[in-house]
Amino acid sequence: MSSSISTHELSKAFRHTEAVNALDLEVPEGSIYALIGPNGAGKTTTIKLLMNILRASAGSAEVLGVDSRRLSPREFARIGYVSENQEMPEWMTVDYFLRYLRPFYPTWDDALADDLVRQFELPRDRKLRHLSRGMRMKAALASSLAYRPELVVLDEPFTGLDALVRDEFTKSLLERAEGTTILISSHDLAEIENFASHVGYIEEGHLRFTEEMGTLADRFRQVELTFDAPPPLPADWPAAWMRPETSAAVVRFIDSRFDVERTPAEIQRLFPNARNVDFHAMSLREIFVALAMAGRHAKAA
Amino acid sequence: MIPFRLVFQPGVALSEQIIYAATKAIVSGQLRPGDPFPSVRTLSRELKINPNTAHKVVMQLTARGLVEVLPGIGTVVAATLPKPTAAARAGLLGGEIEGLVVESKKLGMQLDDVLAAVTRHWQSLGGTEPAQPAKGGRKTNE
Repeated sequence: MSSSISTHELSKAFRHTEAVNALDLEVPEGSIYALIGPNGAGKTTTIKLLMNILRASAGSAEVLGVDSRRLSPREFARIGYVSENQEMPEWMTVDYFLRYLRPFYPTWDDALADDLVRQFELPRDRKLRHLSRGMRMKAALASSLAYRPELVVLDEPFTGLDALVRDEFTKSLLERAEGTTILISSHDLAEIENFASHVGYIEEGHLRFTEEMGTLADRFRQVELTFDAPPPLPADWPAAWMRPETSAAVVRFIDSRFDVERTPAEIQRLFPNARNVDFHAMSLREIFVALAMAGRHAKAA
Repeated sequence: MIPFRLVFQPGVALSEQIIYAATKAIVSGQLRPGDPFPSVRTLSRELKINPNTAHKVVMQLTARGLVEVLPGIGTVVAATLPKPTAAARAGLLGGEIEGLVVESKKLGMQLDDVLAAVTRHWQSLGGTEPAQPAKGGRKTNE
């Protein structure tokens, strides 16, 4: 499968900080790729590099098969880009704005633009500067979907939006997602975990891991062992078992390489006295917290 | 609108959860033969899931003979439903039964105690079918 976005050791330094550090990112065609990370991790910088708004200090990126530094109006006509702090011609009304954009996009679809305006209940005659934050984001999304882009890039689209607007935003995005590649950055996982197909976790400019959503959920389990007497902790504790905790008669840990055959066998070998073994599936949020903590400990060590 | 109730649980594949909820609604008669079933696009939009996941759900339900895609009409609950076997019904309770067993084992209960407790509860709800006696004749649903 080919990639809609592919970066090779992409880096960006601002004075003394490496905002993005040797990033290797692959966004497969047709995927919904969630770029997750805390505030200040480098998500926005990465996206600005991809959109040729910023120039890389080192490394390179390809977007729709073109070097990001050579993106031309021809490619931008196939990309929909919406960012949290998008600059818009504030004096234009919603209707005027859409009419103004139309000639730049050969694939502009008037009926679709109308649909989106109606669906989002955008006030056609109101100037952009007088729109609420939610309305602005919806106007930006409408203007970016109306030409059926092959690639949609959304930078923190949900920040500052109320639950209802987030809902509308997501629904109208998904309604048109088939055949489209979507890259979406967010510091809030809950919003996107159900519809993302891929996830990348970025922290301090590094891509800590990137994985398909399904395999990520499959390989993590919280394991709880119950004993009749205080359990002995084995010396050869497996590396894939994260964050062990023990109390009087319980051992708890997170298995990051869960396997339906191998894990129980390993537990049987190390803890033959366990009275009960319990595997809990974990939410993506729990998995990320575990990974972030593990990263912190690794650094401290 | 989605014609069955669904609250996503973490850690279980979304497609499985949706297939489960839809199957339950159809087997229990909440959705009847011929009733409209949401399209891939509607499932994706309303449940806010990936279109590929929604596609998988409809494919699976079609393969199991629970829904059919009628050209020009859309997706509907199949006119003739496969008769749910006792095993299939029990399968719909698989998660709950597993949870009960795990919690019971944690509490150090014996199987007979659990069966007795289930029997008592069953009878207190005035079940018309005679419950399986707790002692002897243990039945497992495979």
